[in-house]
Amino acid sequence: MGNIAIRTVNLGKLFYLNQKKRGKLRETLEEKIRLSLKHLFTALSPDAKKNEKKHLFVNKHIWALKNVSFEVKHGEAVGILGHNGAGKSVLLKILSQVTKPTEGYAEIHGRVGAMLEVGTGFHPELTGRENIYLSGAILGMTRREIKTKFDEIVEFSEIGDLLDMPIKYYSSGMQGRLAFAVAVHLEPEILLIDEVLAIEDISFKQKCLSKLKEIVREGRTVLFVSHNMDSLKTLCNRAILLERGKIVFDGDIKKAISKYLSGNPDAKL
Amino acid sequence: MVNELNTPEQRYMYRIRNLPLTLIHPPKGLVPLELGKLWRYRDLLYLFVWRDIKVRYKQTFVGTAWALLQPLIACLVLTLFFGKLARISSGEVPYPIFAYTALVPWTYFVNALTHSSNSLIFNSTIITRVYFPRLIIPISAVATGLLDFAIALLILFGLMVFYGIIPTLAVLTLPFFMLMSLATALGFGLWLAVLNVEYRDIKFILPFLTQIWLFATPVAYPSNLVPEKWRIVYGLNPMAGVVDGFRWAILGTNPPHMPLLIASITVVTILLIGGLFFFRYKEDTFADVV
Repeated sequence: MGNIAIRTVNLGKLFYLNQKKRGKLRETLEEKIRLSLKHLFTALSPDAKKNEKKHLFVNKHIWALKNVSFEVKHGEAVGILGHNGAGKSVLLKILSQVTKPTEGYAEIHGRVGAMLEVGTGFHPELTGRENIYLSGAILGMTRREIKTKFDEIVEFSEIGDLLDMPIKYYSSGMQGRLAFAVAVHLEPEILLIDEVLAIEDISFKQKCLSKLKEIVREGRTVLFVSHNMDSLKTLCNRAILLERGKIVFDGDIKKAISKYLSGNPDAKL
Repeated sequence: MVNELNTPEQRYMYRIRNLPLTLIHPPKGLVPLELGKLWRYRDLLYLFVWRDIKVRYKQTFVGTAWALLQPLIACLVLTLFFGKLARISSGEVPYPIFAYTALVPWTYFVNALTHSSNSLIFNSTIITRVYFPRLIIPISAVATGLLDFAIALLILFGLMVFYGIIPTLAVLTLPFFMLMSLATALGFGLWLAVLNVEYRDIKFILPFLTQIWLFATPVAYPSNLVPEKWRIVYGLNPMAGVVDGFRWAILGTNPPHMPLLIASITVVTILLIGGLFFFRYKEDTFADVV
């Protein structure tokens, strides 16, 4: 080990705020027609055309990430800190290939498993048993892998007799437990975890934390986004602090936390 | 080797020796289809199909019987209005089975097209949170309908016995025409699913579109009502080729008009291949736009 697990170089992600692309077909067509007419009239002077195009992008976008470069070695557990909208989730989404960066690139050595939101892919009409298979497959496990871990998952989730009931009859706490149980039984080399410890049940939260610690001890690489400083401190010894899409600090977890808290006195200690 | 991989640590050490490398970079135009990747995700494809089949008839009164009722009721209506009232000629076969034969691929097509067109939106929470080849979603949507298709086909065989229709050798071409109706649904479905992500207008256009489409397809009437010189144009609607082929395969009546069939096959091929590339080209933006 000691080899690079993740390397990002100048990662950037641009979001458009004008919602043009989300709009209705008619508006887009109108916009296209209007623009092409404009281009037609300015076609004689190529400079004017360039300026027109440039103008379109000004003031209508936001860089959710900009110039983000870092390296994570195999076996490291790195916390990602930042206020809402700092770009933490976007970073994890890029690394898990859910969305593409606008610029820069990232290298990932190994399989990536992402817990971006607990319970992704659960279907309310299906039973707990069925949902374990479904969400396991969505998170990247094969049916065979799920089968071998099935009992472990059920035991971890503590749902007991409810296993063959549709999960729409579960309490939200129970659904969360089942979802987390599936997610922690993923076995990729690199785990991306986003705020999954927003679980209310204290004893189950402890159980999850110790399971995550075990994962780190096994030598797997973990990127961990959380607003809970205690969980971060127990799991990671390094943290990256993001502010408005840029890295402002990368290093010791305690320093990162104090730097983060100095900018946000309300955060839980 | 198997004994070595008992604990998570051992499995982990085994895997770290040959780690795959993934490169993540900005989208860059036309990308390869990577159909091989779909094979690696076949378990997920299977589970999506299984989920949709399980869920589809949950909390319905007659359940799977909907698969029978849809084409049967449509057949009844067509027989009444086109067979009896308008007296459309169905050749030497009785009108009900003439219509039902066409309704089997047609009902499948409409359902598969509708499901695949809406599939990306229905699965938007998964798309914005987990990575997997997105093609799995519309493909599983058209595959799900195959169960209904099979059920409707069984009824068709029952009707054939009832009407005493003995299939000819043409029945061997049936799998081809089944595949062609799947390809047509997927071909159009890919385009509409991608457009639906950005423009929800598709949702409103769809029911309207399939209604008009029914009239442009020889379901209620035979395709030889269309003047011969126009049939190649008529065949640009791939479902015309599918329905004609289906009828020939099952009923053994007149074989499909060749120029019509070739036009249909060409359109399906172009649509499907174009749709696959279009889908892959747009795939990277789904999570941001949907």
